[in-house]
Amino acid sequence: MPVFGLTRKSLRIPYVLFLAVFVVAPLFVLIYYAFTNGSGQPTMRNLTGFFTDPNTLGTLCYSFAIAFVCTLVCLLIAYPTAYILANSGFRHKSVLLMIFILPMWINFSLRITALKEILTMIEGNLAMYPFFNAVLGMTYDFLPFMILPIYNTLSKLDPSLIEAAKDLGADETQAFFRVTLPLSVPGIISGISMVFLPSMTNYVVLDMLYNSTYIMGSLIGSYFAAYNWHGGSMIALILLAIICLFTLVTESYTEEDSKGIGGAML
Amino acid sequence: MRKNVRRACSLFLAACLAVPAALLTVKPASVQAQDTTAEEASAEEDDTIVLRVSNWEEYIDLGDWDEEETIDLESGDIIGENSMIEDFEAWYEETYGRKVKVEYSTFGTNEDLYNMLTLGDVYDLVCPSEYMFMKLMAEDMLVPLSDHFYDTSDPNNYYAIGVSPYIKGIFDAKTIGGEPWSKYAAGYMWGVTGIVYNPEVVTAEEASTWKILNNSKFKRQVTIKDNVRDSYFAAVGAIKSDLLTSPEFLNDPNYSLRLEEEMNDVSPETIQAVQDYLQTVKNNVYSFETDSGKADMITGKVVANYQWSGDGTYTMDQADEDDFTLAFAVPVESTNIYFDGWVMLKSGLSQDPAKQHAAEAFINFNSRPDNVIRNMYYIGYTSVISGGDDPRILEYADWNYGAEEDEEETADYPLGYFFSGDPDDEDYMVTVPADQINRQISAMYPPQEAIARSSIMVYFDADVNEKINQMWINVRCYNIYQIPVWAWCLAVLIIGGIVFFLIRSRRKKNYD
Repeated sequence: MPVFGLTRKSLRIPYVLFLAVFVVAPLFVLIYYAFTNGSGQPTMRNLTGFFTDPNTLGTLCYSFAIAFVCTLVCLLIAYPTAYILANSGFRHKSVLLMIFILPMWINFSLRITALKEILTMIEGNLAMYPFFNAVLGMTYDFLPFMILPIYNTLSKLDPSLIEAAKDLGADETQAFFRVTLPLSVPGIISGISMVFLPSMTNYVVLDMLYNSTYIMGSLIGSYFAAYNWHGGSMIALILLAIICLFTLVTESYTEEDSKGIGGAML
Repeated sequence: MRKNVRRACSLFLAACLAVPAALLTVKPASVQAQDTTAEEASAEEDDTIVLRVSNWEEYIDLGDWDEEETIDLESGDIIGENSMIEDFEAWYEETYGRKVKVEYSTFGTNEDLYNMLTLGDVYDLVCPSEYMFMKLMAEDMLVPLSDHFYDTSDPNNYYAIGVSPYIKGIFDAKTIGGEPWSKYAAGYMWGVTGIVYNPEVVTAEEASTWKILNNSKFKRQVTIKDNVRDSYFAAVGAIKSDLLTSPEFLNDPNYSLRLEEEMNDVSPETIQAVQDYLQTVKNNVYSFETDSGKADMITGKVVANYQWSGDGTYTMDQADEDDFTLAFAVPVESTNIYFDGWVMLKSGLSQDPAKQHAAEAFINFNSRPDNVIRNMYYIGYTSVISGGDDPRILEYADWNYGAEEDEEETADYPLGYFFSGDPDDEDYMVTVPADQINRQISAMYPPQEAIARSSIMVYFDADVNEKINQMWINVRCYNIYQIPVWAWCLAVLIIGGIVFFLIRSRRKKNYD
């Protein structure tokens, strides 16, 4: 039904325009640059160059390692937190949740600067533990993104399911591992994808905590700083491909899992 | 839950709004004043010259000094009330009877400026470093300075009258495509690269070599610059240290020429050696930094810091305020002498003589001794202007770091090379406290012997640039061969585990 003479179709226009200008067009520019060289000739050298250079491959591995450890640590901290939050009898649950989300309101570079000073006090010389600091900084930065989706799935979980499990003779532990955990997988996967991928490229944290080794984000930056738009675009494209692959794999699992509880996610 | 969140948000927002609102009500007068000047400017735009200037960030006096910041030289007080740009606009109208409006903008790095120019931004007057204006010269993007600019009989030509003979010598001698720098570029600030160090931990000898960067005695306690050119220079100095300090090399009649050749060596072997060297540096330094090194030095997180002399002076001044003494050393191998210079762009001026006149007047106004001192005080870098017959710039050096009358141990610091061209000139001697010799004064005006081993770093052509940039990326990346065996094993285990888990859960589902 038209409202103010606008049909549903015409309401769509701004979104289509936005997508075209800010999503589709840049993607084509990226693809164009990735597969051309300095003089505009089509080439595959950027692609083959990436997978034959031990330095770029090593950087990919290093980024993976940081992202993996960071995600694991986030998950290990976030799941119990979210579980306790969701199941606590505390009347002002939202206040507790707020405390965990509160740091997100503060600019992250400010938070990392504060972390830097605290770490210096504890460790003495920050630069001695570059890997540890990078993981710590990113965990600090991304933890809320892991807690929120897990909390959401857990709090929407129907308590009668666990009651049913107990009626059928399961003890607390069994009920958790056979019912609660499998049903919270969508939240976990949503959290992982929100932590893993950004932490592969968030080089500002590394810079601020004095880790001198490049990760994928800084590698792209260094190509651009040297006016090599082509090499940088190719790396960005490869990252995009990794993200797509990751989403495809996880999608195929979450879709089936989430049918039961109506696809509860953020 | 909603209610709580909403309440907290509105409280927070109210606080955010209240503070600036309170500030605004206190200072409405100045805001109104700004509005009216903006209106005036747009009303009379027709006959005003618009001069588009682009300069480094924080690289000109923006005025608004406190009363107690007045520089009380013997020849009179100097204070920056208005910004240099406003003062120039007023001075130009007063002197030449025509209105000029300066559109002032800033850039972060030479490469940013070059990118902006190639992407179509238009400026009339810019102030890049020497290697970038050499590149702009080579690419024929500049307008030569007029003959009148170098006419010393015009009292308003402060640059030609006041430029240091030492700097003038360099700008006349260095050429690009057979043309001297001075045809296109007028100097602004200059300096050398060196090491700021904490004398309680590092000896002067240890700090006076580029090899300090991978000296394991100071593991993770030194910083290096986060850009390929500065790092390359230091690395070349370190690898060629033995050659550069050998008596035969030092006594070579063509020493300066050979030094410059060696320091600008970009042969494949040298690039490889630099890469290997920087690899060891990466495992030894605290950080690759552009700006954070100053603070880390003052707070004592690091004990030595690769620094440009201007920032070195600033660091030492700041440390002094905390009663913490730092010193400055110029490495024995060689030091990179750098200049920032004003150049006029063809694309901006487009053969408008009035504009060129205003651009040259802008350079001259910034070369007037009192303005030079204001800029030097505000920026902390050293101007290329020595002032000619005007004594104030030497007085300023003395005002800054000269010895008090009751000082017990003093030393004479000769500045003749810079001020008169004669290193032994008795008239240009500053008496400083004895412990100043390797501190601020030596960063502000490097000693004669340090200048003797200075070398300019030329700009490299596209081909060499690509190789050096690749070398830099290789240094900063994590090489796949560095991954230890246990990490490979762990990775295989983890990936295997995940795959196994995924397949199993899928199977199970299919059975269901």
